[in-house]
Amino acid sequence: MEEIVNVEAVSRRFPLDNSSAHHPAHSFVSALTHASLRVTAGEFLAIAGPSGSGKTTLLNLIGCIDQPTTGRILVDGVDTSQLKPGSMSKLRREKIGFVFQTFNLIPVFTAAENVEYPLLIQGVSSRERRERVAEALESVGLSARAQQRPDLLSGGERQRVAVARAIVHRPALVLADEPTANLDTHNATQLIDLMHGLNRSLGLTFIFSTHDARLLDHTERIIRLTDGEVVSDSSIEGGSRG
Amino acid sequence: MAKFLLLAFRNIFRNRRRTLMTLFMVGGGVAGLLLAGGYFAFMTHGLREDTINSGLGHMQIFTAEHFNRDENRVLDTGIENWRQVAASVKTGSHVRGIAPRIDFYGMVSNGTKAAGFMGSAVDPEAEQSLGFITYIESGRNLDPKPSGEVEALIGKGLAKSMNVGIGDGLTVLAMTSDGALNGVDVQIVGIINSGAAERDARYLRITLPAAQRLLQSDRVTNLVVGLDSTENTDRAYAEMMPRLNGLSQQLVLKKWIDLATYYNQVNSMFNGIFLFMGIIVFFMVLMSSVNTLLMSMFERTREIGTMLAMGTPRAWIIALFMVEATMLGLAGAAVGLVAGNLLGALLNSSGLHMPPPPGYTQPMPFKVRYVPLEMVASSLLVIVSLAFASILPAVRASRLRIAEALAHV
Repeated sequence: MEEIVNVEAVSRRFPLDNSSAHHPAHSFVSALTHASLRVTAGEFLAIAGPSGSGKTTLLNLIGCIDQPTTGRILVDGVDTSQLKPGSMSKLRREKIGFVFQTFNLIPVFTAAENVEYPLLIQGVSSRERRERVAEALESVGLSARAQQRPDLLSGGERQRVAVARAIVHRPALVLADEPTANLDTHNATQLIDLMHGLNRSLGLTFIFSTHDARLLDHTERIIRLTDGEVVSDSSIEGGSRG
Repeated sequence: MAKFLLLAFRNIFRNRRRTLMTLFMVGGGVAGLLLAGGYFAFMTHGLREDTINSGLGHMQIFTAEHFNRDENRVLDTGIENWRQVAASVKTGSHVRGIAPRIDFYGMVSNGTKAAGFMGSAVDPEAEQSLGFITYIESGRNLDPKPSGEVEALIGKGLAKSMNVGIGDGLTVLAMTSDGALNGVDVQIVGIINSGAAERDARYLRITLPAAQRLLQSDRVTNLVVGLDSTENTDRAYAEMMPRLNGLSQQLVLKKWIDLATYYNQVNSMFNGIFLFMGIIVFFMVLMSSVNTLLMSMFERTREIGTMLAMGTPRAWIIALFMVEATMLGLAGAAVGLVAGNLLGALLNSSGLHMPPPPGYTQPMPFKVRYVPLEMVASSLLVIVSLAFASILPAVRASRLRIAEALAHV
């Protein structure tokens, strides 16, 4: 299978604001330490762990919105550590779809316009945009709500619009950071099922983070993080068991 | 592109109260500039037409030596064949008429007291046909062909200082071309109040033949040309210049703008004040808008982070903020244009007057003119100011660290 993501011994340290020159060892905090993982096309993968375990940091690094302190990450075969900001931006635009914890829809745009946005910045023609937006909204079951602004949608509907926005440009990879954190259990389960369904039907690769253990039952592969370290990978454990 | 502009447009109305405040401020600036500029334009336009109609005319013809003349013997450098010159010039397009003049200096005496005067000898019919205003406060204008004594109009101040009135006599003394002192008795038939106190304190007017007899010369110092409209001055000037070539005397043609010293001073002063006001409005809009736009940027930090995360080029973010500010400027300018014109109309119908300016005795009407160029300039000023104000927030927005922006609460 084609490899979509390859994380090789990646660490990420953040400087502390009140760092002291006399104590350089305490001048940063380590969010991720020597993390490695490989993701192949079409996987549906969960990154699990408690708050502060480094899930968001790992997703940010894979999503090219942050740079590792050490190590390297390849996305669809491209070494992101070698890329200039403009190329990183292009990579995100073309290869990655994002779903955020707080939905992050543009409030002055309708649901359809929000879904259209990734196509707009790629310069897709208006006719093609219309068709693909309709398809994406159809796939998340929100065709009837296309002309509503986000403030008139429920939390579950907003997150489904965000999923439609993440898949509309047919990215190689969809990253979802705690997509169910602001949803009730029913909506959360529905969303995970929706993403899983899209993963199967469209062959899209999904990586999502969660700290909700109940959602992990719906997931084929789980990577667990604790204190910035990968402590388990169900695919490896499964492989070793088999 | 259309969607991008739509996004910018809708963003303007996200915080309606703040947008409204900005529109009031920008609109107020534009309206203020329009009212001030319109009032200045009204003043300068009025002053221009007053200056021309009070006898300056649209153009004047002099001899080349006139500007180096001896003020005691003004006709030494006067125009000889002025009737021929006038006839040649009169046939030009836009020319309404020609008025010959002698501007001369001398002394007036009432037998017990003498004072210097600044005289003007005119052809009353020619002056009247050109619509020149004489500003007679009391009495009547000069009779073009008086049967008896030489008639004179004198300034209000001169009449007061000489303690004379209508019907009284004065002796006018001036130097002839030969250098001899000559005198003529005149009878005062009218008192002039031009509004300019300094001028009225020395002014005397008699008919052209009377002055030629007094100065013993048939020359004139200048020919005043009246046109159908001030706007045609440049065109008429270009056409008239060749007609003055090839004459026995070298003649010079001057436009009203070259002779209207006071008008030019006032105009420069108003332009300076308007420029100063424009600079104040520019910085006022700039400083307050920077703050407003920074607040808007700060509130949208996570949204900008999301847009950047999705791969929006940073230049788009800069453009988005600048387009939003420019649209706000356009809307503010529109508000200002409407408000400024409405207030202007209200002011024009109010009949308000301003106190007379220094050196003048008549109150000035408080009116504004509609000057399209000022409307365009004022609008552009605030639009550019807002676009400038958006640079800092736009650049800061485009430089946000995506991960930090996404975590912004």
